[in-house]
Amino acid sequence: MTDHTDTPTAPLARDDVTADSPFTLPGFFAALNDGDLLAAVCEDCGNRLVPPRPACYACGGRHLHVEEQPQTGTVVSYTEVRTPPSALAERAPYTVAVVELDSGARLTGRVTVPYAETDIGMPVRLTTRSLAADELELALDHEKEWPIHEFEPA
Amino acid sequence: MTVTKPYVAAVGTSAFGRTDLTGRDLFSAAVAEAFEDGPDPADVVDALYVGNQSESYEHQIMHGTLLAEWCGLRHVPAERVEGCAAAGALALRHAVEDVRSGRRDAVLACGVEKMTAGGTAGATNALSAAFDRALEQRSGVTAPSQYALLAQRYLHDTDATERDLARIAVKNHANGAANPRAQFQRETDVETVLDSDYVAPPLKLFDCAPVTDGAAVVLVASEAVARRFGTGDPTVRVGGVGAGANNIGVADRDLTFVEGAHEAATDAYDEAGVAPADIDVAEVHDAFTSCEAMLAEAAGFAPRGRGYESALPPAERSDGWTDTHLSTSGGLKARGHPIGATGIAQAVEVYEQLTGTATPDRQVDGATTGLLINEGGVADAVTVAHVLTT
Repeated sequence: MTDHTDTPTAPLARDDVTADSPFTLPGFFAALNDGDLLAAVCEDCGNRLVPPRPACYACGGRHLHVEEQPQTGTVVSYTEVRTPPSALAERAPYTVAVVELDSGARLTGRVTVPYAETDIGMPVRLTTRSLAADELELALDHEKEWPIHEFEPA
Repeated sequence: MTVTKPYVAAVGTSAFGRTDLTGRDLFSAAVAEAFEDGPDPADVVDALYVGNQSESYEHQIMHGTLLAEWCGLRHVPAERVEGCAAAGALALRHAVEDVRSGRRDAVLACGVEKMTAGGTAGATNALSAAFDRALEQRSGVTAPSQYALLAQRYLHDTDATERDLARIAVKNHANGAANPRAQFQRETDVETVLDSDYVAPPLKLFDCAPVTDGAAVVLVASEAVARRFGTGDPTVRVGGVGAGANNIGVADRDLTFVEGAHEAATDAYDEAGVAPADIDVAEVHDAFTSCEAMLAEAAGFAPRGRGYESALPPAERSDGWTDTHLSTSGGLKARGHPIGATGIAQAVEVYEQLTGTATPDRQVDGATTGLLINEGGVADAVTVAHVLTT
């Protein structure tokens, strides 16, 4: 497995902004395809940013490094999508949640179990998979190889 | 440097609701009302800004050019402003800044949206573009589900219940029943709201603002130009403006305190030299009932965790609440929510309240100071606040 954290840190030079860099979406999703969920960690204030980006919104700092994240966390909030984007009509209803990883980083994702089986504080684990047919319909050309991330009960 | 005071010279709206009229036609209706008793737009308007959410409804961009032409203007600066549901108040902000600076004497702030064109699916898909593509959109989030993530945590962390949220819908329907501009000019009751289907729990259909076609305009002008309208004695001006962006991703934000709205409102108060307790009437962007509760706290009307009391008469609210009347228009819930036009429609309501021209059943006696908070992209991805004063 590639060590995706062995990459340049921010601040980025112009030539650092490549599709291989985890500071870009193609680089972030390539790492996720390999099983690594990456965050940028602000070296000035410690804030963790998923996906990585070249600046910290909390303090404005541009010195960041990439860090592999723990793939377990807890549900901070959740709901059920009953009226989905039309491409996902056959998939609804499905559960979505804001999850706080054990590192403190937060991200939104679908939950693999029904709404009634989800709750605030529920421990979850990240899973990834390639796109299903309906998700491919929703995907733009450059997104078709990007994995879907979901959370399952841990 | 002399700062020109920006007056509200004239206002107008289309009807709000479902219609066969297109966006430009709805704009024509709003302009017809605003300029009914004044000079023609071409005689006074120096520039035009248009709040508009999405080109997907009518497959039309270039709304600045289009609407300028449709009110008889050519060769003026004219452009669309985008910020999802905050687009209208962003357009108003540009108009205010242009007049304040002395660069323009009169600027038309417009908003227009033809949301029903693609049905519910069209609106769902178009609105989802407001959310972060990388993680949120690809997870299949929708506008109701994004707001539900905030509402769920709000109900978890405060004493608020779904019944409290339902009361906000009931209050706003009662206000809408008294507003001839409202999409829903009828009352509802708590049980009807609670019995409606979940759209994204804890939010139910009757917690949600509707899909709306509509347009609204506000002419912002120097006092000299404003004297050419109405009674010739303009009384309402924009005293303060605040605007700001927050994270695009909901997960990165405080889920129960709308920081961006707090910052925007605070800036608007500071510019106007007022405090939350001075605000008699406020339009608070109740895209969902839970938003009204959270924005009431962010704007400083309610103590933290008590914004859900907004439907109670002022005397029955918790200590620390101001006496502000919220969403007297019926709010987004009942007046309607034509996305890009909503911020302008909010300004129209505050204008009517401050000029004493609201219908008697919703007029707040003696209102002299009002606030509108208009937000886009889930609560406060971008928020704009305007204080209007007499």
